[in-house]
Amino acid sequence: MKNRRILAALTFVAAAAVPVAATADIANFDLAGRLYTKWLYRNNDSQGVLTYGNPFWPDDIAGDNGVGTEFELKVFGKVSRYVDAYARIQSRFGEMWQDWWESGERKYGGELNTSGDSVGLNRASYIKLRGTWVRATIPFMEGWTNTVTIGSSDLGMFNPWSIGKVRYIDRDNGKGIFIHGLVGDGIFSYDLAMIALPKLYVGPWWSTGIGDPSLTRPFFSQDWAYGAKLTVAPDWGTFTLVTTYTNDIEVDMTDPDAVGSLYGACTDDLGNPIAGCEKDHAVDYFSRYQNLVATLESQIEPLDWLSVNTLFGYSMGRIDPRLTANGVALNQGVSPVVYKDTDSYAVRARVEFADPFDVGLSFKVEYFNIGEDWNSIFGARREADVLLTDGLVEGVQLPTLNLANEFIDFDEDFVESCIGWHGGTVMALYARDALDVDIEGTYIYYNTNSQNRDVDQTYPDFLHSDGFTDTDLYDYANTTDRGRDPRSVYRRNQDRRTVIAVLNLRYIFDALEGIELSGKGKFIWDRDYRSHTTVDDDYDGRIWMGRVKLGIGVVEGLKIELGGQFDWWDEANRKGTLEQGYGDDRTWKAKAFGGLTFNYEGLKFHYRLEYLHKDQARERDVNQVWKVFRSKASLEVNW
Amino acid sequence: MRALFMGCFLAATLSVAPGIGSADTVVSLKDPVHDDDGPGTYKYPTDPVYKPGTFDITSFAVKTRGSDVIFKVTVRSKIKDPWNSRSWDGNGFSLQFAQVYIDTDHKQGSGFCDGLPGLNVKFRKESCWEKVVLISPQGKSRLKSEVKQKAAAMKDGVVYPRVTRVKGRTLEAVVRAKDLGGRPAKGWGWQVVMQSNEGYPGRNDLLTRKVNEYAGKHRFVGGSDWNCDPQVIDILMAPGAGTEAEKEAQHRALKFRCNEADPDKSPLVELPMVYP
Repeated sequence: MKNRRILAALTFVAAAAVPVAATADIANFDLAGRLYTKWLYRNNDSQGVLTYGNPFWPDDIAGDNGVGTEFELKVFGKVSRYVDAYARIQSRFGEMWQDWWESGERKYGGELNTSGDSVGLNRASYIKLRGTWVRATIPFMEGWTNTVTIGSSDLGMFNPWSIGKVRYIDRDNGKGIFIHGLVGDGIFSYDLAMIALPKLYVGPWWSTGIGDPSLTRPFFSQDWAYGAKLTVAPDWGTFTLVTTYTNDIEVDMTDPDAVGSLYGACTDDLGNPIAGCEKDHAVDYFSRYQNLVATLESQIEPLDWLSVNTLFGYSMGRIDPRLTANGVALNQGVSPVVYKDTDSYAVRARVEFADPFDVGLSFKVEYFNIGEDWNSIFGARREADVLLTDGLVEGVQLPTLNLANEFIDFDEDFVESCIGWHGGTVMALYARDALDVDIEGTYIYYNTNSQNRDVDQTYPDFLHSDGFTDTDLYDYANTTDRGRDPRSVYRRNQDRRTVIAVLNLRYIFDALEGIELSGKGKFIWDRDYRSHTTVDDDYDGRIWMGRVKLGIGVVEGLKIELGGQFDWWDEANRKGTLEQGYGDDRTWKAKAFGGLTFNYEGLKFHYRLEYLHKDQARERDVNQVWKVFRSKASLEVNW
Repeated sequence: MRALFMGCFLAATLSVAPGIGSADTVVSLKDPVHDDDGPGTYKYPTDPVYKPGTFDITSFAVKTRGSDVIFKVTVRSKIKDPWNSRSWDGNGFSLQFAQVYIDTDHKQGSGFCDGLPGLNVKFRKESCWEKVVLISPQGKSRLKSEVKQKAAAMKDGVVYPRVTRVKGRTLEAVVRAKDLGGRPAKGWGWQVVMQSNEGYPGRNDLLTRKVNEYAGKHRFVGGSDWNCDPQVIDILMAPGAGTEAEKEAQHRALKFRCNEADPDKSPLVELPMVYP
């Protein structure tokens, strides 16, 4: 091991200090540590160290003002030539420095007091085992190797459409059995996986049964997802077939052997024996929800400058209404699944010409067509991107209703659902010497366009499907008119199309440690004729955005950044109802920001300060103004 | 859409404008495919982000335009950015780290004869280097900090590109000719060492990923757990024609031997340069 000498020295010191203690052989250990501190401040009165926490289970770490530190220790062990192991322990993030002596106790029913025993483990930086795995490499025969991993995985072996790589904060939470096989020099490979379904979010009601009003006794210990990936990679291309299946099962409550069975005595409500009902000390199961996703992707690169990628997908959803209460009807349209059986498709084709004439000019062209009922319940929730476009929210696009715009800070990307998107993107990129210019044009027509769609019982509209989304000032409950929920792809009456145009410029001046001047211009024309019965509800949104940024490498290791952004949103019929009418709203936002990055001997420090002014003139509501100062700083060291 | 077409037209015009578009090719070398195995035994880490061909150099070119020198390192598969480098002030890719060593005088013992920390290599006496260009996904600030911390004695030879970017399967770096000591000349020697960017490097590794004896999720396999193996995945070999013979020559050049009794006294492999 590269760290053997250090560890050996540590062992020696420890042994010398306690000469009678038995010395452990730690030569097969590798250790990695990390300390991360974050400061978050804003001119409001919310307390916590996380801009956007969990909206469903409100936690006490979400807020805009606080400073907290976390520690992480990774232990890698080499058991033998073919077996190794890993464990990661980490302190819970959320204890603010001001918490001082919080012990983790919760003696006063959650009441905040000065005892040090009041607010619980969340605010006590307790150390938790976050992930473990054991891995065995089994060489079956010459040229054929299988690696079996048992335990934690970030699920990165599949793709965002099927089972997606889990977001960073969940990276070790997924556990299962994983087999990676390699035949030859990587020409043929495969992955097989059996993954414990998270009881938290994969399924209707964002769970595999818990919290579902139709279930008296949620059963989740046999809920699994299964995945298979086959890859063939000859020299001229790569072909990947992925099939994943998630199966949330519940106990048959009519089975007399089930705890709490409806017919435990095998008699009906009148006390008559039920024919065929007999206890056999075994219970039957039903599938509450199933999601199967299959994709076939090809990546062909016939020339250094040419790449062609195609992806075809099929998505199937099966829901058992006996075991699943209707989240669309009972939860105000906020549901990660369509409440019916679904079958759908996805097609994406992308061609990239990387500077074919060697003059600095490249092109990318993409066609996408994602069916209206597509859903990937276990797909990537963020930190992945399936389309080229900058999109509407200047973030990333993923084909699931199960997006996660939570556990993030104000300076991080948002993710939006692209279910039902049908259209194309053309990009031209000019990159030469110190200049980079790229232009994007995207047209989206929506497969979800429909009249009188059933958003009361079947299709979730996430309650808020109107108006341009403000990711700068997002609030889950939409108390401040922040526009459409990024998951809202269904509307009762929709006949929508969108044009997106983006221009990015960057030039790096050869001065100091490099001066980078960049700019971005973006225009979105979003047109929705909504109900065909009237023109009075037609939405016409014209969104303009411009940003300029200057990054200056001042001295070795220190870079500062200054910039500004201006948004102008002109939205006719932004919000309202057919019955009460719609209002024309106009919004302008101005943002000034600055920050610095400092690298020093392995220490990384980052700081960002911004002032955001938003002025919203609303025809049918009171006008709104925001004057927000906010900042975020982070300090990280790894060893 | 009009803006889009106008932009394309403008860019195309800029590209072909006389005096602006032309670049002189100074060096153009090929490297055999499927030689991304160091001495012949290395394999990629097991994490799925490391796609086949990610570290397999297929060609290397040096061009000049005005006062700039442009380096192009092409690999066998499309270069991706699975770790979203823009979020850490990076350059649009995550995995590769190419170091271009340049021998500008071809004199015995002149220049630096050790590779940068983390590679575990030396250069042959007649091929020691004067300059090394770092083509890394890391921003300049992080690179400089690492060099200052771990390779202070070589810092005068380290060249940081003005711009580092990705074009399909090619890493492109733009460097001021003056930073190389002048425009590339006939007789200069070149070596491209392909490694992988490691954001959490070892104490003495300059942003390089370790090669270990056994498989690891983010560790190359097939080397040694001691620092006697060259932590190098692919290099160029003369004459730079991309032949099978060059692949064999690379395997011989990177073949390492560990001193079992005292691994720290193991002889490090010595890399050659290619003098086109």
